[in-house]
Amino acid sequence: MTAILTAENVTKTYPIRAGADITAISNLSLEVNEGEFVCIVGASGCGKSTLLNMFAGFVQPTRGVVKLRGAPITDIEPRCGMMFQQYALFPWKTLIKNVEFGLEMKGVARKERRERAQHFIDLVQLSGFENRYPYELSGGMQQRASLARLLAVDPEVLLMDEPFAALDAMTRQVLQEELLQIQERSHKTILFITHNLDEALVLADRVVVLSSRPGRVKAVIDNDLPRPRRASVQLSKEYSDLKAKVWAEVEDEVTKHAQSDMLAPAM
Amino acid sequence: MTSYQTVDATRKSYLPMSKFKARIPAAFIVKCLSVLAFIGLWYVATRYRWVSPIFLPSPLAVFQEARFLVQDGDLWRSVLESSKRVFSGFALAALVSIPLGILMATWWPAKAALDPFVSLLRPLPSITWIPLTILWLGIGEGQKTAIVFMGTWIYILIYTYESTKRVDPLLIMAARNLGARRLAIMRVVLMAALPGIISGLKITLAIAWSCVITAEMIAAQVGLGAIIWRAKDGGNLGLVLVGMLGISITVLIADFLADRLEKVLLPWERGRR
Repeated sequence: MTAILTAENVTKTYPIRAGADITAISNLSLEVNEGEFVCIVGASGCGKSTLLNMFAGFVQPTRGVVKLRGAPITDIEPRCGMMFQQYALFPWKTLIKNVEFGLEMKGVARKERRERAQHFIDLVQLSGFENRYPYELSGGMQQRASLARLLAVDPEVLLMDEPFAALDAMTRQVLQEELLQIQERSHKTILFITHNLDEALVLADRVVVLSSRPGRVKAVIDNDLPRPRRASVQLSKEYSDLKAKVWAEVEDEVTKHAQSDMLAPAM
Repeated sequence: MTSYQTVDATRKSYLPMSKFKARIPAAFIVKCLSVLAFIGLWYVATRYRWVSPIFLPSPLAVFQEARFLVQDGDLWRSVLESSKRVFSGFALAALVSIPLGILMATWWPAKAALDPFVSLLRPLPSITWIPLTILWLGIGEGQKTAIVFMGTWIYILIYTYESTKRVDPLLIMAARNLGARRLAIMRVVLMAALPGIISGLKITLAIAWSCVITAEMIAAQVGLGAIIWRAKDGGNLGLVLVGMLGISITVLIADFLADRLEKVLLPWERGRR
């Protein structure tokens, strides 16, 4: 397997005030292979989002390098498509116009734009809502719309920053299954951040546990639960064994983070 | 004012109050009774000479004056003249201040260069510009337009600046991630700031009206402000009151039209109000 995303000894520090820096990520190395679904879990403030923002090119590492197919990422990288927890739909555009946005940026002609947007709206099961504004859609529908907008530009990697965290448990489960199906068909590489172990175990081929601040890779756990996977996988014995294993790695970090929180305010 | 009706939570159907309101518009009835009671009290107070007509004319006298003013067309001419002045000054201010506000919010040197002027000019009431504008422009239409301009451009600038600054950075990130370049990003910023800019324009429109009335009371032949000032010189208190009422109603209608225009321009904002 070939690595599509790599982080090599990446460190990121932010200045919080004159003379005082905070280290979000320290000496982190990670490889994501082509077609792989990797979930990153970790206590809040472990630099999960920072890592994703580096792969998207929004922030540059202080030390080390992040790469896409071996080439350093030094600017906004549209081949790494990003999906945000707060949907980030354009409120002044209707659903279909939102989905068309990335295609418009690529200079795709109007007619083809329409057709491709419609295809992805159908894929995320939002047919019939093309001309609605985001405020007219529920949270789950908005996140679907955001997924359609992302898939329409056909990025090589999907970076997902806790995309389902704001949704209720049932909607979340439905969307997880839809994402699984989409991934099984498209074989997209997905790097997915979550603080929900069940979500990580249902979705991922590999679960990466980050240590609490500063974030570094604490453990990588292969998830061999059978595919195609559905939410019902959570009922199996293998699943609960695996969850115990991941939780053992995460538990320390959560406690440590809770203690450090008492000393320093969270960022 | 329309603005506080928009936050009236009883309009939302999930409150039990609205069921009652749907059958009998109780608030409307109370409003009407309140106005009628006020006019009644006013009539009685003047009719029985509790107040001398030198200080307060009777509502009938005011009604008479209003009829004269409507019949000889003076009222319409004044409303039209004042509106023209408001519109030209206001449009000019928007044309200058909206691009300038966006520029200041997105390019720091522009903000640094203009900040001292904004700080110094902001505290000045538009009325303080009357001597200079008369000296430079005379007492014609240009001077009225200038007063409206001087009284409004800073507010439009500040609202535009603040709205642009407050654009959700996530939207800009999403746009860049989807391949947006400089011009497309600017469009995203503008569209995201637009609701704030337009609500700023609405508030500033009321300020524009107070500017034009002030200017007309100092130096003008026609206009709603001029009616009041002429009536005062002629000792016609009834006409003063009619002029004041005329201003109120005209500004309310302008507000209402601006509200309508806002809804047409921002269809995606309907869900938020």
